[in-house]
Amino acid sequence: MSKIRETQLTTFLVEDQARFYRLAYSYLHSREEALDAVQTAVCRALEKQESLKDADAMRTWFYRILVNVCTDLLRQRKRVTLVKPEELDAGSYEDPLPEDGSLARRVDALPPEIAAVIRLRFYEELSLQEISAVVNCPLSTVKTRLYTGLKKLRIQLEGEE
Amino acid sequence: MNEFKRAKEEYESTPIPAELEDRVRAGIRQGKANRARRGWGRRLGTVAACFVVMFGVLNLSPTVAAAAADFPVLGGLFQVLTVRSFTDENGDRTVEVEQPAIQGGGAFAQQVNEEIRKRVDTKTAEGEQLVAEYKEAFLATGGTQEEWEQHNLAVSVTYDIKSQTETVVSFLVESDVSFTGANWERTYYNLDLAAEKELTLADVLGKDWVTVCNDAIREQMAAAEDPAVYFAADQGGFTTVDETTQFYLNEAGDPVVVFPPYTVAPGAMGYVEFPIGQ
Repeated sequence: MSKIRETQLTTFLVEDQARFYRLAYSYLHSREEALDAVQTAVCRALEKQESLKDADAMRTWFYRILVNVCTDLLRQRKRVTLVKPEELDAGSYEDPLPEDGSLARRVDALPPEIAAVIRLRFYEELSLQEISAVVNCPLSTVKTRLYTGLKKLRIQLEGEE
Repeated sequence: MNEFKRAKEEYESTPIPAELEDRVRAGIRQGKANRARRGWGRRLGTVAACFVVMFGVLNLSPTVAAAAADFPVLGGLFQVLTVRSFTDENGDRTVEVEQPAIQGGGAFAQQVNEEIRKRVDTKTAEGEQLVAEYKEAFLATGGTQEEWEQHNLAVSVTYDIKSQTETVVSFLVESDVSFTGANWERTYYNLDLAAEKELTLADVLGKDWVTVCNDAIREQMAAAEDPAVYFAADQGGFTTVDETTQFYLNEAGDPVVVFPPYTVAPGAMGYVEFPIGQ
């Protein structure tokens, strides 16, 4: 049975590669790092394919691996980024929200865990339930992050106006 | 909320690098190899050799065969199935084999199956030979048995179906030896089972196939993010396609011309592919 599962998995990984790359890129904003992240996540997915219990959950399962790889990379990067004092943002206590710029750029400016929820919800169109599985947080946390994010983006959900 | 539509469009317009597919496939290969190692290795120790054969699992188990038939790539009157699949590990190396064969085809299919079988056997034997030579050299030059056992060498022969219609199937057989890099080989099979023949680029693209391919390839090379990654023609790079140029047919039925590593670009780019639209 596992051979079939593996074929299914590889087909899925190859077919949806562009989506994975975009998601990774939205985290890392670097072409090379996003490529690395996708390759690492794909490799990890094949290694750990036994941990996928339900083939229907393949998408959420893989997104979770990919998101973990991306956050790991971000964490590593944080460790080595040196910023000169004079280059530090003077207004760093303020909400980092450029008033101009497109919504997509404003999403990028959100704190990473909030941006992740917004992207998965509106770009990848996952349900809140699925997002909670991907980012490994309780549903209530996902909801809080989503609403915090929307608030920061000054966007109202339909029907709430 | 409409703002999100635009944000989504912007997000979806993120340019996708051309090498993404290669990176995904590299990830798949890596993952498979690591899994083969981790799954069977260490645990069983180095002295006891383990031998696992799943011989023709598709033929033996009706459930598995039924599940395979549901799989979208397979269908039509004939099928390409795994007829031999095994992982064999001893202290020296892991051998992973997945041998495909066409089922439901005529004499021509049988002939191709026989050719594939020979290829799989030859490549496995070659890999084993390389491992044996490496081991001998390693021990002869001061390496200890213990150090040798730290290596995780792998020899693999697998396949991948690229596309399939009612009468035509396109797939490749890939062999690799993990520690050499120079033994990564792909052989493509583009078979028309109704006409009982192997398809050529001329069959797919018509009599102008050479010009059509060359134009498309040059155009894609020039349009690359960095056209200089490809070797210049006078430095041994791409000049023209010919009868020996490998290709496969993608899901859309278009030929995709494939060049092995180091032939048109640096080896790090792996197999370089150029889709030829019709």
